[in-house]
Amino acid sequence: MSETSGTVTSPGGRVGRGLINTAAVLALLYLFAPIFVIVLFSFNEPKGRFNAVWQQFTFDNWLHPFADQGLVDALFLSLQIAFLAMVIATILGTFVAIALVRYRFRGGNAINYLLVLPLTAPEIVLGASLLTLFIEPNLILFNVQFKLGFTTILIANIMFCVSYVALTVKARVRGFDWTLEDAAMDLGAPPVRTFLRVTLPLIVPGILAAGLLSFALSIDDFIITYFVAGPSEQTFPIRIFGQSRTATPPQINVLATMILVASITVLAVSTLLGQRRQRKMAGG
Amino acid sequence: MTERRPPRRSASRPFPPMGAMTSGPLTRRRFLERAGLALGAVAFGPALLAACGSDDDSSSGGSGGSGGGGGSNDIAISNWTSYMDKPQLKVFAQATGISVDYREDINDNNEYFAKIRPNLSKDQSIDTDGFVLTDWMASRIINTLEWAQPLDEAKFPNKANMSPALANPAFDPGRRYSAPWASGATGIAYNISTTGKEIRSIDDYLSAPGTKTALSEMRDTMGLFMLSAGADPTTPSYAAAGPAFDKLQKAVDDGEITQFTGNEYVGDLGNGDIAAAIAWSGDVAQITVDNPDVRFVIPDEGGMLWSDNFMIPYTSEKAAEATEFINFFYDPANAAELMAFIQYISPVVGVADQLRTIGGEAAELADNPLVVPTEEFLAGLTIFGSLDDEEEVKFDTRFAEISGSG
Amino acid sequence: MTDRDDEGRKTARIAPWALLGPGMIFLFFFFFLPLYTLLRMSLSSSESRFSDPSFTWEWANYTEAFSQFGEQFFRSFLYAGAATLAALVIAYPLAYVIAFRGGRWKNLMLGLVVVPFFTNFLIRTLAWKTILGNEGVVVSVLRTVGFLAENEGLLRRPIAVIGGLTYNFLPFMVLPIYVALEKIDPRLVDASRDLYTNTWGAFRRVVFPLSLPGVFAGSLLVFIPAAGDFVNSYYLGSTQTTMIGNVVQNQFLVQVDYPVAAALSFVFMAIVLAIVTIYARSLGTEDLI
Repeated sequence: MSETSGTVTSPGGRVGRGLINTAAVLALLYLFAPIFVIVLFSFNEPKGRFNAVWQQFTFDNWLHPFADQGLVDALFLSLQIAFLAMVIATILGTFVAIALVRYRFRGGNAINYLLVLPLTAPEIVLGASLLTLFIEPNLILFNVQFKLGFTTILIANIMFCVSYVALTVKARVRGFDWTLEDAAMDLGAPPVRTFLRVTLPLIVPGILAAGLLSFALSIDDFIITYFVAGPSEQTFPIRIFGQSRTATPPQINVLATMILVASITVLAVSTLLGQRRQRKMAGG
Repeated sequence: MTERRPPRRSASRPFPPMGAMTSGPLTRRRFLERAGLALGAVAFGPALLAACGSDDDSSSGGSGGSGGGGGSNDIAISNWTSYMDKPQLKVFAQATGISVDYREDINDNNEYFAKIRPNLSKDQSIDTDGFVLTDWMASRIINTLEWAQPLDEAKFPNKANMSPALANPAFDPGRRYSAPWASGATGIAYNISTTGKEIRSIDDYLSAPGTKTALSEMRDTMGLFMLSAGADPTTPSYAAAGPAFDKLQKAVDDGEITQFTGNEYVGDLGNGDIAAAIAWSGDVAQITVDNPDVRFVIPDEGGMLWSDNFMIPYTSEKAAEATEFINFFYDPANAAELMAFIQYISPVVGVADQLRTIGGEAAELADNPLVVPTEEFLAGLTIFGSLDDEEEVKFDTRFAEISGSG
Repeated sequence: MTDRDDEGRKTARIAPWALLGPGMIFLFFFFFLPLYTLLRMSLSSSESRFSDPSFTWEWANYTEAFSQFGEQFFRSFLYAGAATLAALVIAYPLAYVIAFRGGRWKNLMLGLVVVPFFTNFLIRTLAWKTILGNEGVVVSVLRTVGFLAENEGLLRRPIAVIGGLTYNFLPFMVLPIYVALEKIDPRLVDASRDLYTNTWGAFRRVVFPLSLPGVFAGSLLVFIPAAGDFVNSYYLGSTQTTMIGNVVQNQFLVQVDYPVAAALSFVFMAIVLAIVTIYARSLGTEDLI
C-alpha cells in the first residue's frame, strides 16, 4: 500500500497532494459541522420555545433528559416498531436472499431487479402509494380495511427493510461454499439438519448485519412513516417534525447526542478490537 | 476471512458498485456500527422504562400513544401546543380520578383533518376522546360531516360560565357539540430593532425591510388582506376577494413574503431572523416577555378574531369523562390559571377577577387586552364568515397556489 | 453430487419459490399493489372534498398536475442535479484520500463519514437552519466579506436548500466512490504514473475512469432521494423553493386532494423507474445486488 503514496516528488505533485488532503479535511469538517451544533445546543438554555439561538450554558437538560414525556413515548414507539420490523423483515429477506444465492432458477434475474426497486424508489412515492392502499375501502379481492395506526406503520417499515435485508444477506452469502452442504449430506445429514447446523451458522453474521441495518433504517424513517401514521401515533421523527414547528425542547438534542455517543463508542471499540484481532492473526 | 471478490469473476463482468456497498470490509464495519446503534437504542429501553415510571410529568401515556389510555376511565386528548398548563392535568386527575393522555399533536387544522379523515370516514377510531379545532373546521366536523358527538350536559355544569358572546355561534347553536377552548386575535407581529419603524397596517408590513412571513391558515392571512383591500371578511366571496388575492400574490412574487408558516415563526421572530409576521396574539405575548423588541399590533384596518373549540369525536366511548375534562377548565379559577400560562383569551366569564386574585404577573395579564380584551379591542376585530363548499375550494386552491404548495 | 453452476448454485424448480414466497408476497402487497392503487388514485376524482375518490378515468388529473405543479417538478430535478454535482465535488477527494492514503485508518475514517448520519435526519437539517441563520457565524462572515448585503440571509433561498440536500446525502456518494477506488489495483496506479509522468495524468486517464461505476452509483443514490425530498425545502427554503415532495406532502396530508398528487407521484416514480432500468441495463442487474 505504501507504494501508492510515496513516489511523487515533483512540486506540482506535492501541491496537488496538499490540495486534495485539504479538501478531504474540509469535507470531514463539513460533515461534522451540524453534529457540533447539535451537541452544543444540547447544553443551551433556550429563552423562548425554540432552541435556535445560543443563550447560556446549562447542565439542566442533561440532568433531565427524559423531561419531555411525549418525546420519550415517541422514542419508545420508534424502538418498538424498529425491533418488530427488524425481526420480520430479516426473516423474510433472508429467505429471499438464500433462494437467490443457493438456487438457479428461471425468473432469478427478474427477482433481482424487482428487489432493487423499493430501494431506489423515492420515499415520497412509497409513502404516498402506501397511503392510497390503506385508504382503499375494499382491497380488490379481500374485504380488508386498514386503520391508519401502529399496524400500518409497521407494515411500511417492514416493506422498505425487506429489500435491504435481502441485498445485504445476498452480498454476504455470495462467497459461501455450498459444497460444504453437499459434503454434510454425503455424510448422511438430512437437508434440514444440514441447513441448520452447517449453513445457518456460517451466514449468521450476514443476517445479523442485515437485521441491524434494518433496525437503524426503521428508527430513522420519517417520510414513509409520516404518510401512513394515524393521528395519534407519533414516532420519534414524527414527534420532532411536529415539535420543530411549535416548540423544540433541548431534550431533543440531548437524546440525539446520547444515541450518537453510543454509536461512536461501539465504533471505537470495534476498530480497536479489529486491530487487535489483526495483530493476533498476524502474530499467531 | 476477508471478503474478496469471488475469484471466478471475469474481466468483462461489470463492476458491482451497489453490491459492493454492502459487501467487503464495509459490511463488517457497518455491522458493528449498526450494532452500536442498536445497542445504544436497546440500552435505552430499560432506561426509558425507568424514566417513564419515575418521571412525574403530567400524562400517563407510557406506551407510544395507542388507545385512549389504559385505565377504565382514562382519556386521550389532542390539542395544539402551548395550550395547556401541564400541572393542571394532575390536579384534574386528583379531583376526578381520570388520567389524561395529553397529546400535542395538532399543528394545523387541515393537517389534523387529513390525518383523521381516513379513519373517521370508515367508522374507525382515531384513538382520541377530544380534540380542539378552529371555528371553521369545527363547523365542518359538526355540521358537514357530523363526526362530533354531543357533550354530556350532565357533566358540564360549568357551561353556565361560558362567555355569552361565544355561547351561541351559528355553527353550533346552544353549544351542544363544542365548547370554546381559547380565543385569539390575528394581527401583525414585528421586531422593531429589525424593521426600524413601527408597523400599523398591512401596507406598512409589506414595505418593511427584512424577512416577512404570513400564516398558512388561509382565513387568517386572507382575512387581513381582505380588510386591507377593502373587502369584508364577514361575508366572504371569492369574487370580492379578488383584489386581496392579487395583493398577496404580488407580495409573494416580489419576494416580500417568503414563507407561509404555522407556529414556526415564533422562534425566528424572537431571534431576529424574521422582521415581521402575520401572527397569533398568544404566541407573541410569550415572546414579548423575553424580547421586548417584538411587538404585536392589530392593523389599523382591522384584525381577525378566532376561537378554537373542544369537540368529542363520534368514535369515542368516553364522552362523559371527556366532558368532565372541559368542565374542569370552565371553572373560573382553573381557567384563570390556564390563561395565565397560555396567554390567550379565555372563553370563561370571571377570569379577569381570578387573575387579579392570583396576583403578581397574572394580575398584570388582567389588564392586557390580548388576554382580557376590552370592548374597544374587540371592536377592531372581525370574524371570518362561513364559506360554502364551492367557495371554500376556490379560496383554498387560490391560496395554495400563492403560498407555493399548490 | 448435486449439479451446481459456477457460482455454486443448484438448479431447482420449486424450492427457491418456497423460500422466496413469503418475502415476495409481502412486497407484492405492500410495494407493487400500492403502486397500482396510486395509479388508480391518480385517475380518480371525488364528488365532494371529504369523500374517498372513486375511479373515473380522470386523465385531467395529469394535465392539471403539470399545469399547476410543473414548476416544482422541474425545480426538483434542478436542485437534485445541483446537489449531486456538489456532493460529487466534496465526496471525491474524501473518498480518494481514504482509499489511497488511509492505510490503517481506513475503516476509522469511513466510520467518521457515516457517524454524523446516526443522528436523526430532521435534527441534522434543523441544525443547518441554525448554522445558516441570520444569527449564525456563516452569515456574519459572508456579510463582512461582502457576499451578502446587510439584510440578506442564506435561509429561504435555493442555495440553502441545495446545501441541505448535498449534506444529507453525502455518504451515499462517498461510499460507492470509495469502494470503486479501493478495488483499483495499486500497481496499475503506479504503472500509469510512470507512463504519464505525473499524477494528474494518471488520475485523469486511469484512476478516474476506473472509479466511474462508483461515481454513477453514487449519483443515482443521491439524485433520486434528493429529487423526492421535502424536508430540506421545508426547513431551509421558502415558497419559491418548493419541490415535488412538498407538493405531494401538502396535497395528501393538508389539502386532502389525493388524485392530482397521486398523478404527480406516479409520473415521478415512472421517471425514477426509467433511470434505474437504464442503469441496470448498462451496468448489469446481477451486480446491482
